[in-house]
Amino acid sequence: MGGDSRYLGLAYVAPYIAGLLIFTAIPFIASFYLSFTDYDLLSKPRWSGLDNYTELFTRDRTFRKSLRVTLLYVLLTVPLKLVFALFIAYILNYRLKFINFFRTAYYVPSILGGSIAVAVLWRYIFADSGLVNMVITALGGEPVNWFGDPDNALFTITLLRLWQFGSAMVIFLAALQSIDKTLYEAAAIDGAGKWHTFVYITLPLITPVIFFNLIMQMVQAFQEFNGPYVITQGGPLKSTYLLPLYIYEEAFKKFDMGYASAIAWVLFAIIMVLTLIAFWSSRHWVYYAGDKRS
Amino acid sequence: MKKTATALATILLLGAGAAQAADLRMSWWGGDSRHIATQEALKACGEKHGHTIQPEFTGWTGHQEKVTTQLAGGTEADIMQINWPWLPLLSLDGSGFADLREYSDTIDLGQWPEEQLESGTMNGKLNGLPISTTGRVFFFNKASFEKAGVPLPATWDDLISAASVFKEKLGEDYFPFDATGQNGLTAVLVVSLATTQMTGKDLIDPATNTVAWSAEELQKGIEFHQSLVDQGVIRSWKTVAGGGNVELFELPAWSDGRIAGSYEWDSTYSKFNDPLEEGQELVPVKLLTIHDAVTEGVYRKPSMVFSISKNSKNPEAAAQIVNCLLNEPEGIQALGDSRGIPASRIASETLADSGAINPQLLEANRIVMEAKGPTVSPFNEHPEVREIFQDTLEAHAYGQISAADASVEIIEGVNGVLEKF
Repeated sequence: MGGDSRYLGLAYVAPYIAGLLIFTAIPFIASFYLSFTDYDLLSKPRWSGLDNYTELFTRDRTFRKSLRVTLLYVLLTVPLKLVFALFIAYILNYRLKFINFFRTAYYVPSILGGSIAVAVLWRYIFADSGLVNMVITALGGEPVNWFGDPDNALFTITLLRLWQFGSAMVIFLAALQSIDKTLYEAAAIDGAGKWHTFVYITLPLITPVIFFNLIMQMVQAFQEFNGPYVITQGGPLKSTYLLPLYIYEEAFKKFDMGYASAIAWVLFAIIMVLTLIAFWSSRHWVYYAGDKRS
Repeated sequence: MKKTATALATILLLGAGAAQAADLRMSWWGGDSRHIATQEALKACGEKHGHTIQPEFTGWTGHQEKVTTQLAGGTEADIMQINWPWLPLLSLDGSGFADLREYSDTIDLGQWPEEQLESGTMNGKLNGLPISTTGRVFFFNKASFEKAGVPLPATWDDLISAASVFKEKLGEDYFPFDATGQNGLTAVLVVSLATTQMTGKDLIDPATNTVAWSAEELQKGIEFHQSLVDQGVIRSWKTVAGGGNVELFELPAWSDGRIAGSYEWDSTYSKFNDPLEEGQELVPVKLLTIHDAVTEGVYRKPSMVFSISKNSKNPEAAAQIVNCLLNEPEGIQALGDSRGIPASRIASETLADSGAINPQLLEANRIVMEAKGPTVSPFNEHPEVREIFQDTLEAHAYGQISAADASVEIIEGVNGVLEKF
């Protein structure tokens, strides 16, 4: 009987395991192998040793530029998105009228946000004669070249990602609602104001969720593709040429899958190292229930 | 007994017919008019030959990546519209697609002159049937020029002097021409045109497979393009980028005539003419030339080919459909001039006889076919060559490097790519 239920459990998870193997694990291992080859997609891969990595780190100026842009994008997007999501979650945590409607409304962009359609919409909103410039001009300002100016283009793409704060917000909201109300009552009795309550009670108690959102948003930001692909194609002057876009173009435009795999593995290594650093640093700022420090 | 035998025979015949009917897929890129025409043609040819054909169509952007991925995974459509310069990339040894000569009983190859079939042949295998021959041509919005009271330009000088009249009479946001294009492709081709007109040479010397232009020659071409921006003839690179990744013909400024001209493939006439507002029409003019041009410098090439997948389960059925699209009345009439003037003799004659070809497209194609210029190397459109050219021109347009440095960078970069072949 025990054996039967074990097999039944395996049968239930089999589709997931099969999917994981076929669509994640095998391509993952294959791309590692391919990163040491010269592979043009249409003929057999040829072993080239460390050539791809040597080229990447010693001669490839586009890689350096793309890496710089990607790091800047992550550095801009992740903190802004976390702060914004927490801010909205904090407001939506109040017992306002129609609160459920607002919670849903603020979550909607997250469902739509990753889609091509919204990226296209973004392109029209921020185009030189788009909605944003129309508003700026109506208010007496000078129109801004959002996509054509290399200093603005990355920021405009960042805004698209920022707009999709819903999933982080929902997680923050759940964390805020799980905080024991008696703590706030005790603080109020002691005369603590809103700001002090937020900094000394709310923030420490939701640090595990901040940490979780930080990791998730960072990994997502490193993989951003749709926005720059649809809106700017990486331009102008490669100012929005994020690494996933570079990987895509090397693989499918220039037929250099081996080199693209090498870039993908460097990107993976960067994400891995930053995640490990985040985990290491979490010992100093993340507090869990039952933790002796709390 | 007789009735039973007849019924049996009927069932057998029906069964045999069903076995021949194939489910095929066909992929292509293009604009709306091509999408509609092709779907109608597939319906007509499918009904005629008893096959069903699933259409898979996209715009130009991303289509090459899609086809490459499908070819790598063996999931490509049975029939594919392939850009001619992709042939050496996708099938250098001829094994990337089916050899269409093997289906010469089904496809009437006699409708193409041998040299055209040669252009679709890789390593002795006929990988693609030329659909049309195309070239870049100047299109101008007649209504905008009439509104400004300026005749359509016959030379670059005419065009340059039209710019100031446009601005004076119609407004600062009016431009008689556009020469940047999505990701700067048109900029590359205008610089190439000017340099070819100056030198009489294509970018690539076929004898040595290296860049044929000197740095000084290319520098003049780049400076010529920049002078068009400086004199208000075309929008700056930065302004074009400000609109986001949008094709010229999708812009309101194009459809209402504020941008009144471009340098485009003749076969894309409908794509650029269709969005124009009522009362406006795009007309082709003879290639504009610079002072002391040694050639018109036409950029002419086989535009695209139809290929059949080497993995197709029904290559014979696919060949029937290809032949129908290119050589049979149902396909010819439905496709019309949606891919330019057909290369197939019977198709071009049929369309010309029935008056089905847009006269402006016919004129555009005549200009391209009659113009003089050196043979264009397919390496002009190698993705890495294009990228180097486009990126460097962009850096120059944004003031990051001088025209002299840009020309050296382009020549060195392109030669670096060509070394691999």
